[in-house]
Amino acid sequence: MSGQAVAGAISDPHAQPAALLEFGHVTKWYGTIAALMDVSFQVGTEVVGLIGKNGVGKSSLMKLAVGLLRPSQGRILVGGHEAGSRRARAMVGFCPEVDRLYEDLTGLTFVAWMLRYHGWSRREARQRSAEVLDELGLGANMHRPIREYSKGMRQRVRLGQALAHRPRFLLLDEPMTGLDPVARAELTRAIRQLPAQGVGVLVSSHVLHELEAVVDRVVLVHQGCLVADGRVAELRDLLPAQPHRVRVAGPRLRELAGQLVTWSQVQSVTVGEHALEVWLTGAPGFYESLTELGASWPGGLQEIRALDDDLASVFGYLVG
Amino acid sequence: MSTLRAGLGWIPTVIESARQTAVLLSRRRLFWIAAGVVALLGVCAHVVGGRAAERIDGRSMFCLLTWWLHSTVLLPWTTLFLGVQAVHGRIEDRTFQFLFLRPVGRIPLLLGNWLAVVLAAALAGGAGVVALFAGVATRPERWLPEGLEWRLLAIFLEVSFLAALAYSAVAVFFGAYFRRPLVWSAFFVVGLQMLTANLPVSAGLRRLTITDPLRRLVLDRVEPNQQLARGLWPAERAFNPDMIGAPVQDLVLFTLVCLGLGMWAYSRTEYDSRSRE
Repeated sequence: MSGQAVAGAISDPHAQPAALLEFGHVTKWYGTIAALMDVSFQVGTEVVGLIGKNGVGKSSLMKLAVGLLRPSQGRILVGGHEAGSRRARAMVGFCPEVDRLYEDLTGLTFVAWMLRYHGWSRREARQRSAEVLDELGLGANMHRPIREYSKGMRQRVRLGQALAHRPRFLLLDEPMTGLDPVARAELTRAIRQLPAQGVGVLVSSHVLHELEAVVDRVVLVHQGCLVADGRVAELRDLLPAQPHRVRVAGPRLRELAGQLVTWSQVQSVTVGEHALEVWLTGAPGFYESLTELGASWPGGLQEIRALDDDLASVFGYLVG
Repeated sequence: MSTLRAGLGWIPTVIESARQTAVLLSRRRLFWIAAGVVALLGVCAHVVGGRAAERIDGRSMFCLLTWWLHSTVLLPWTTLFLGVQAVHGRIEDRTFQFLFLRPVGRIPLLLGNWLAVVLAAALAGGAGVVALFAGVATRPERWLPEGLEWRLLAIFLEVSFLAALAYSAVAVFFGAYFRRPLVWSAFFVVGLQMLTANLPVSAGLRRLTITDPLRRLVLDRVEPNQQLARGLWPAERAFNPDMIGAPVQDLVLFTLVCLGLGMWAYSRTEYDSRSRE
């Protein structure tokens, strides 16, 4: 799988509007149940992670963005066009989570069939489909019927149909599902290259540490509401009620703990066998002071590591 | 560096959708079962031709067999099943998502599905008619003294084609609108059509069926004697040609209404909505 699968995705990156995807006060009702409530956010030429527990409205949000659903209230624009309009659909690539394909077709034929509707001739569609599937690592298997595919191969076909028409905005619903570690790493790399080519990406995943490696920022949805939108570190700093935890390892732990508890930023310190776990009331100034202390500490400090500044911790703090 | 394409035009989308649907249908097991049934029909007609009472001539035998076995049972069920599979099958297995993401309208996609089903049903139906005709034609003693009446083959091919058009439209509508389209198909064929077959000729409910105009078309084209007319339309004891009306017009109107309703449902329904689950 290589980043070339999506190369040349746009004609003129400079012609992009600021926001490739724009949700404006979007509400979606299913009968009397609200799937999304007054959701507003924008995605430009960047990779944005969509996170939330199961059933909170992530898939509904993605389907609204690609026009499979219509908002009950509010407005969704894709590249300045109403979501679901022909122009918007021409710009969007969507890799759905649902694992259903035309089982009797080969992977190549399936992608080529979808590409035909974008206005590609049959010959062009087959050529481009073969190119994309090859870059996605399907190789010679693209000529086998889909019903014989493994989960990872099926996922590559779904990705292929999303990428083949060179979309300007890509929505990936659980794109890592079924991929082996090598393919995951390659897909991660490929997604990271997209913004440089003028492509915006909205990606959802349950594997938060993998998502964290890909995204520029995250949008967190909980019970149909958008509860956070920003970079992970920024979001973490907005949670003062949740003390930061830092692991500090080095010699003379008890003595070090005695020093640290006197600092204003430190709430408490737990002395472990090989390291300290420091609970902070606020991070500003702490790391600078600790670095200075480490420079003068006999034997030096061997490890300074934030334990809960990652996406999983932020997610846990925000939605329990 | 390439540019984004705006998508296929309306008519190319219909053609492409029809092509893709036809390929998918040709790979369904039902298509091959239908081929087997067609062969069986020919054998069946030949066997019946050898065993039926001598007073039944080849003309009546072919008309009765084709009408009761083919046009009112096999063809409707095959067409409805193929049509429901073509439209609702993709909704049920959610592969419609891949289609609805493309920059083409849903109406041409649906019309393409309908055309493919018409083609498949007309081919299967036509093959059935030919098989039945061949089965009865291999009993030359039944066609004496006038000899084989090729006109009947053409009449039932026409009936078969019109039936394929109309039943496909019903299947497309049911597939696009209902969550249980095969149940509604059963209600339509077994319930509504059987019920109306026993109603007076003037009953307005007859306009909501396919069997009724098809039967009138057969009676009009075949020009049956009273005995054959009774065999084709048992509920109507005193058939007269004034009852025929304009069956082709009725069928075309019915087909257009069903297609219109199907297009309306297909273009506006949120098939992915959680409220449908």
